[in-house]
Amino acid sequence: MKHVTDEEMIGQVYGEGENTAAVARHLADCRECAENFAELQRDLAALNRAETPARDARYGERVWASIAPLLPVYRMEKRRWWSNGLVKGLGYAAACALLVSCAFYAGRVWEQKQLQQQPVAQVQPKVPQIKQPIVVVVLDDHLDRSERFLVELKHADLDSAAMDSPMRDEARSLLASNRVCRRNAAEARDPELTTALDHLDRLLAEAANEPDGLNAQTIARLQDEMNADGVLFEVRVLRSRIARHEGPGNNPAKGGTI
Amino acid sequence: MDKNDHAAIQAVLAGDKEAYGALVVRHSHTLFRVAYRITGNEADAEDVVQEAFLRGYRKLEGFESRANFGTWIYRIAVHCALDWVKRRRGDEAKLASQIGESNDPELDQLQVADAMAGPERLLLSGEIGSMQQAALLSLTATERTAFVLRHMEDCTTAEIGAALGIEPNAAKQAVFRAVQKLRRRLAPLRVAT
Repeated sequence: MKHVTDEEMIGQVYGEGENTAAVARHLADCRECAENFAELQRDLAALNRAETPARDARYGERVWASIAPLLPVYRMEKRRWWSNGLVKGLGYAAACALLVSCAFYAGRVWEQKQLQQQPVAQVQPKVPQIKQPIVVVVLDDHLDRSERFLVELKHADLDSAAMDSPMRDEARSLLASNRVCRRNAAEARDPELTTALDHLDRLLAEAANEPDGLNAQTIARLQDEMNADGVLFEVRVLRSRIARHEGPGNNPAKGGTI
Repeated sequence: MDKNDHAAIQAVLAGDKEAYGALVVRHSHTLFRVAYRITGNEADAEDVVQEAFLRGYRKLEGFESRANFGTWIYRIAVHCALDWVKRRRGDEAKLASQIGESNDPELDQLQVADAMAGPERLLLSGEIGSMQQAALLSLTATERTAFVLRHMEDCTTAEIGAALGIEPNAAKQAVFRAVQKLRRRLAPLRVAT
C-alpha cells in the first residue's frame, strides 16, 4: 500500500476518514507513516491548550441587559389573529362561499332578466311560425282550388259558354291568391314552388283577363298551355309535398287557421 | 427541543420580551466559547454573542418549533463570528494598504510570522498560546471557523457544512487546509519543544 496521505491522516484523527480500517492497518505496519501520524496528533493536541477565557455566572444576565433595550416587543397577538392557520382557513372558506353566493345571485338576476325579455323574444321568432301556417293554409287551399280549376279547365266543354263567367271569376280569385303565394314562395326561396306558381300565374292571368272571354278557342289554347307546362301535374306534386310536410296529425289546411 | 426554550420562545412571540432573557442567560456561555475560538479575541467574542442574540430575536418568527433553539442560535453565532472575522480582515487589509503594505494574504502570513518572536523567546516568555492564536488568525475566516468547529467544538463535517452554508466536502477540505497551514506555522514551535 502507498503511504498514507496527509488528508487521510487528518480524517483518521477525526474519525471521518473514508477507509479508516485500511489506514489503521497501514499505520500499524509502516513506521514512517506512524511517526508522521503521531506528530500530527501532537500538533493538534497542542492546539487544545488554547483555553477559552471563563465568563462568570452573571455573564448571561449582562448580555441580556445590554441587548434588551434594543429589542422591540413582538406584536404577535394581532398578527396571530391574521396568521393563525384556522383563521386563514376560515377566511379562505368565507371568501369561497362569498364568491359562490355572488355567482348564484348573478345567475338568478340574469335568469330573471331573461324571463322578462322572453315574451318579447318569443314573439319575434313566433312571427314566422304564425306566418308559416297562414301561408301553408293559403297555399294548400290555393293549390286545392287551383287543382280543381285546372281539372275543370281540362275537362271543359268547348262548345258550352255556361262555364265562362264562373271560371273567369274563379281564375281572378285564384290569380290574387296565387300572387300572394308566389311572393311568399320567393321569400322562402323555394324554386320549385315558385316555378310552378309562375306557370299557374300565367295560365290564370290569361284565363282571368282574356278580352274575348273563355270561348272554345281560348279554352283550347289554355288547355294546350296547361298540358305543355304540366301545370296540373306540378300543382298535384306540390299538394302532396305539402301534405307530407305537414304530417298526418298536423294539417293546418284542414284546421281552418285562417 | 428543550421545553423551557420552547415555552420561552412562545412567550416572546406572544409579546413577552423578557422571556428572551432566559434564553440569553441559558445559551450565552456556549456562544461566547465558540465566538472566542473563532475570533480569538474576548471583546470581539462578546460583541459576536450580543449580535447573535439580536439576530436570533429578529428571526425568531421564522424559527421552526421542531428545531433545537440551542443548535439554531449556535449556528447564528458561528455566522456572526465568521462575518466578524471577515470584516476585521477587510479592515486590516484596508489599513495595510493605507500605510503602503501589501495586503497579499500569503505575505501577511509571513509578516505575522516575522512580527512574532522566535520559538526560544516564545518558550521563555510563555507565549505559546499567543503563537497558536496567531497561527489560527493566519487562516482564512472559513478555514479558521471550520477548524474550530471540527477540532474544538467536535462538530461533524456535515454540521460544519450546515453552519457555514457550504457542502460537507467543502467543509472537509477547509478543515484539511487549516490543519496543513497550522502545522506549517507551528513547526518552529515543535522544534523548540
